[in-house]
Amino acid sequence: MKPLKIFLVLLILAFLLAACGGSQAVEEPAVEEPAVEEPAAEEPATEEPAAEEPATEEPAAAEPMDEEITMRYFMWDPSFEETEQIMVDKFMAEHPNVTIDFQTIGTPDYWTKLEALSAANDLPCVFNMSAGFVDQWISDGLLYDIQPYVDADINPDDYYTGVFDVVRDKNSGDMYAFPFAFVETVLFYNKDAFDAAGVPYPTEGWTWAEFLDAAQKLTKDDNSDGVIDQYGFWFYGRYAHIESWVYQNNGRFLNENKTRFAADDNAIEALSFLDSLIHEYGVAPEPKEMEGIRQQDVFPLGLAAMWVDGAWNINGNRENIGDQFNWGIAPIPRGPQATGDAAYGWPDSMAIAATCEHPDLAWEFINFMTGPERTIDLTFGGKIPIYKPVALSEEFLEKDQQPDNKEFLLEWANYTGPTTFTPGWGEWRGYTDGAGLEGRLGEVFNGESDLDTAVNSITEHANGVLERYYP
Amino acid sequence: MKHGKLTPYLFVLPTIFGLLVFRLGPTAVAAYASFTRWNVRTPPEFLALGNYVELVNTETFWLVFRNTLLFTVIFVPGVMIISLLMAMMVNQKLRGIAFFRGLYFMPYITAMVAVAMVWRWIFATRFGVLNYALTNFLQVADPPAWLADKTWALPSLAIVAVWKQVGFQMLIFLAGLQSVPGSLYEAASIDGASKRQQFFKITLPLLSPITFFIFVITVIDAFKTFEVTFTMTGGGPNNASTTLAYYIYQNAFTFGRMGYASALAMFLMLIVGVTTFISFRMKDRLVEYAL
Repeated sequence: MKPLKIFLVLLILAFLLAACGGSQAVEEPAVEEPAVEEPAAEEPATEEPAAEEPATEEPAAAEPMDEEITMRYFMWDPSFEETEQIMVDKFMAEHPNVTIDFQTIGTPDYWTKLEALSAANDLPCVFNMSAGFVDQWISDGLLYDIQPYVDADINPDDYYTGVFDVVRDKNSGDMYAFPFAFVETVLFYNKDAFDAAGVPYPTEGWTWAEFLDAAQKLTKDDNSDGVIDQYGFWFYGRYAHIESWVYQNNGRFLNENKTRFAADDNAIEALSFLDSLIHEYGVAPEPKEMEGIRQQDVFPLGLAAMWVDGAWNINGNRENIGDQFNWGIAPIPRGPQATGDAAYGWPDSMAIAATCEHPDLAWEFINFMTGPERTIDLTFGGKIPIYKPVALSEEFLEKDQQPDNKEFLLEWANYTGPTTFTPGWGEWRGYTDGAGLEGRLGEVFNGESDLDTAVNSITEHANGVLERYYP
Repeated sequence: MKHGKLTPYLFVLPTIFGLLVFRLGPTAVAAYASFTRWNVRTPPEFLALGNYVELVNTETFWLVFRNTLLFTVIFVPGVMIISLLMAMMVNQKLRGIAFFRGLYFMPYITAMVAVAMVWRWIFATRFGVLNYALTNFLQVADPPAWLADKTWALPSLAIVAVWKQVGFQMLIFLAGLQSVPGSLYEAASIDGASKRQQFFKITLPLLSPITFFIFVITVIDAFKTFEVTFTMTGGGPNNASTTLAYYIYQNAFTFGRMGYASALAMFLMLIVGVTTFISFRMKDRLVEYAL
């Protein structure tokens, strides 16, 4: 028994250590602070920013300059952590009395974490806010009204103000978050695979028939072992994968007021076209075949020659694909009911918590992070910066990198149509748990359920959720 | 040792205090919350039995309940049988047996996130070790997609959960086995009892108090299962592997429905309570404290 006892003692020690480790980690930032803030004495903080934009400085000047402030900032994309850290460091260099406690948490855990922090009244001062959650957060009174700041500091000519409506309170019209970039979904395609199959690249106005024809030629079983080595296309129930096709067929999932789920015929047609790609034409795998591979890795691994997802994946693709093959981006193919292009796009924003103790400083930070200071090398790959001079600059096109047609992003953004975002979206869409619409479509695409059953089931489920918000 | 009447109460006070503040208090709050609509950020709104009515009328809830039962049916016998076999294996007097005891105990103390990474890779449809073995060595033509398959996701989770949990129960069984007097076996073998007879007539009956204890805690473990689901499937595909504890978490923390989640929690408490009650009633019939 003796070794067993020793083992148990060690075990208890391990638990204790783990517990201590945990609490230390939490306290760490506090310990580091003084070191970062020391330079405060040497340099008066106000000078530099004041030089650029006099209007902005009014609120900041109200804060006593020698007061040491720590402000938390949460961001949802760990793959941009390094770039974002550079921006944060720049801000801190200009504000020696300010420490930004910057953290990234990947989605969808990001939302669970924020949700818990909001319940605990402990939200970070500044955090990323998505178009999918903003309505909910405004109506729960969790966000700070930034309209006065926007009126004072923002020159509308310099920003893509068209997307500001998404972050407005539907009643008062005030803005409760500030967009930093515009994102949209695109069709990624593997140029090398297209060349090898002798298929011309996708063009604007590409139809579903042309897309299907290409997908058939791109689906290959190289060694004839019955396992497809390269599918023409792949997708699952994810919002970016599905809605893109629905809108390009002039379809709608929601009623006009976006208060109820009511998929129209065009939307159903899009869903059944997608299902036929798997079960009729065999040009796309059942989603369960890709289990164990991160969704953003399927296209880079060459398992599918085409992929529809957000343009924000451009950065990831550059990293994952490297020089392995050439690739490009194109519009989503048009369905038979399309009357014109309808892109699926929305702004990504930064918001201030209603509980933030330094809203002036928080706004100054947001203004800094979304304005001219974010030069092209610090932007987010496929996201279009909200600040026009940067978005419209030659450098934004990044001609030295793939894809070589980034100007398409700017053009395609003009065709932005509807979205499915509502309060409770995460729940009925199944964004956070893979159930809801995503899960029911998944059953169809996995061949476990038929489309009619799934649509009935999702209508009941989604409306159950929406009824809670719109009785 | 003289002490006043109060002294013993002072000694138990810290525990009672902890129980009241950290267990009974929250339980009472949850009981109240289950009658309200409450998203935590705004004050609760009284709904009377609204949450309970919704609960019994929701398909997803019954699916989750069925999943929980199925998980329990795989998990409890799986853990009990395997841990007993393992305890008997490591109860032998072999050189270096302590090493194996430690080895079998390892999964129990390994972080679930690390375990999940490895098992997800094992279960992966196309590039997973399991399907590689099935197709190449056993010539299975079309192996399942395990974690992404409606039918297989939950059993796959249960297998991982058994693998992870079994070391702990083994340890308790081992302690039980070592308390069985060796003289009984000696006497039995002199009387000509086979190993098999010894197991069923001596080992099992003498272990029954331990077995009962293990049964109760394993059932509770099964109903409470969360980590495995959270790290491996997130309840997917389409809730096929969602179990009650995970469903409670989802409603409370991702859908912001603390009231509904509390109603679910009350239901979970009820079934755990009833199961434990029944077990204790059956105890007198099944458990022998001496031969």
